[in-house]
Amino acid sequence: MIFDYIYNTVSAFVFSPLSYIISFVITAILAVTLTGIIPVFIGWVDRKYSARIQSRYGPVYVGPFGLLQNFADITKLLGKRFISTNVDKLSFNFTPVAVAAASFAMLLIVPLGGPGLEFISIPYSLLFIYTLLAISPLFLLVAGWGENNKYALIGGFRGAAQIISYELALVVVLSSVALLSGSYSIISIVNGQSSIWYAAYLPITLIVFVIAGLAIIEREPFDVPEASQELQAGWKVEYSGIRYGFFLIGDYVRVTVIAMLVTYLFLGGWLGPFLPGIIWFIIKTAVVLMIILTPRWIFGRPRIDQLIKFGWNWLLPLSILNLILVELFVIL
Amino acid sequence: MEHKERIRLNIGPVHPAMHGVLKLILDVEEDTIVKAQTELGFLHRSSEKIAESRFFSNYYPIMDKLDYVSALNMEILYASTVEKAANIEIPARAIYMRTIMAEIQRIMSHLIFIGSFGEDIGNITGFIWALRERELLMNVVEKISGGRLAPMYMCNGGMFYDFPEGIDNEILNVLSTIENKVSHEYSAMFTKNQIFISRTKGIGVLTKDMIKKYGITGPIARASGIQRDLRKVSPYLAYDKVEFDVPVADAGDTYSRFIVRTKEILESIKIIRQCLKDIPPGPYKTVVPWVMRIPKKDTFVKQESPRGEMGIFLVTDGSDKPYRLKLRSPTFFALRALEELLVNIRVADAFAIVASMDPVMGEVDR
Repeated sequence: MIFDYIYNTVSAFVFSPLSYIISFVITAILAVTLTGIIPVFIGWVDRKYSARIQSRYGPVYVGPFGLLQNFADITKLLGKRFISTNVDKLSFNFTPVAVAAASFAMLLIVPLGGPGLEFISIPYSLLFIYTLLAISPLFLLVAGWGENNKYALIGGFRGAAQIISYELALVVVLSSVALLSGSYSIISIVNGQSSIWYAAYLPITLIVFVIAGLAIIEREPFDVPEASQELQAGWKVEYSGIRYGFFLIGDYVRVTVIAMLVTYLFLGGWLGPFLPGIIWFIIKTAVVLMIILTPRWIFGRPRIDQLIKFGWNWLLPLSILNLILVELFVIL
Repeated sequence: MEHKERIRLNIGPVHPAMHGVLKLILDVEEDTIVKAQTELGFLHRSSEKIAESRFFSNYYPIMDKLDYVSALNMEILYASTVEKAANIEIPARAIYMRTIMAEIQRIMSHLIFIGSFGEDIGNITGFIWALRERELLMNVVEKISGGRLAPMYMCNGGMFYDFPEGIDNEILNVLSTIENKVSHEYSAMFTKNQIFISRTKGIGVLTKDMIKKYGITGPIARASGIQRDLRKVSPYLAYDKVEFDVPVADAGDTYSRFIVRTKEILESIKIIRQCLKDIPPGPYKTVVPWVMRIPKKDTFVKQESPRGEMGIFLVTDGSDKPYRLKLRSPTFFALRALEELLVNIRVADAFAIVASMDPVMGEVDR
């Protein structure tokens, strides 16, 4: 746990109660900085990568290779005027903060590249992350309702329907991994893969997890709730300025978390020969992230009924079948 | 009985997914459309009336902005009408040059269709790829005519300028690039993409009867199994001297409308190659006076524009301006079918169907 390192270092210089407060403040600042920089960097990767797919350059002007472009964009979003008509003030203003907070909280719980490199350590980290992912339909509904707009309302309902139909598959998949390792803690799941990666045991689970994960974070091609063609931006339609920026950042945080989870649950996390663990972790996560970012740029958008049918008819039975197989494997 | 609430969705005239300023009024129950109305006329600029106050040579800029995605086809159509009315023979070279320009414009128009269709079903990469290929042809048109979107290249009696030297090789290079991309890259992005197929197959089926009822022509009719292409049926320009096939599909759904247009790009490439091989030397225009009087008569000329059969009915009364000019625009008829097509489908499919009609509102509203 990062807090323990800092506390041990600080308490060597300062007496006890004060050192606790100081190390708490340092941890908080570190957490905000790190969790802020990671999604913005991932956003840059996404923009550059999509630009290469589409024969464009992507951001080039702000900073080296356009690295600071996203910071410039967020600064611009901060300066935008707040425009709204007839919105429900409480739900309208509450949702962006809640979405961003729920997303950033996930980054605090997952280990950032090694055992002990997490801000908050809890034994059921996997379940907690799942909870934070699964709470989003509530936000979509509240946002869609509060915006007082037909498109937003339809988008909100669509989002809720989509996420509910995919989160069952996701939790079953997570359970099968937990069953195999005997724990809901990410660290013990990774340690359980010291001999062989779970991807070798559970290839179907891996695929189901990636698809369901993409659907839950509404990444294209599963972006039906915010389909820009039919619903303009769906449940985000009335948002502008930094409120919209919060959604964007939250999006990238969730993409990152899904990529990290794939690495931890199936690809052995930080385990690997020769190189230090954190390098292994970064390499694996980068590869997974690239694979996760690709579908957005090469697939169209399915219809909402096709999407939900796919979730209930294929992913859920597949994941349940997988769970049964894993259970048999564990028992035998 | 279950009570379902009806929501009225006004989509357009300013909507990111609408092509131009088409307005759809959709009555929606749950996610199904029960009634659809189209509202046209937001881009009405009285193009027909403007013709009555302009010399015959001065109407080309208006024709450019009529169907701004295929401006050269519109110019050629108007030039052919005036030349037929005034009995002007254009040189053989001019005929071939016009054929080449018409087909280049057809490819550009279909590329725009592919791109915007991809964008409408959520595939932004397809849009950018299609525009990337179109840009190559845009550069060619710019080198030839000096203009890009509205080239202003045709004039009564031929063209304003001859082809620049060495443009043949450049056109051939561009064409081989586009042929490669369309037949290989686009199949991965569109025609072999499972999500694309599930979004387009069996959606928005236009039967042969509907095609005849609404008077729909062009690629939309050919996608429903009607083998009718004015370039074959009543050849104009140099189309009787070149060999090409008319792509036809039977299903009549959104998918086959896409396939037909993709295949037409490849056929157009064939036509341009043959024309570049056969193009004779000689004058590129018949010199006619800028202001000319056309005796009293009625002239009707129709040609195959990328969107269907575009026609001009020109009434002259012996003066230097038209007495009446009537435009027959193909997509206007196709959009009328939307009211029947858009019923009992999902809201998301409505956009795929409208995009498959490939409407250009400048031409619909005139």
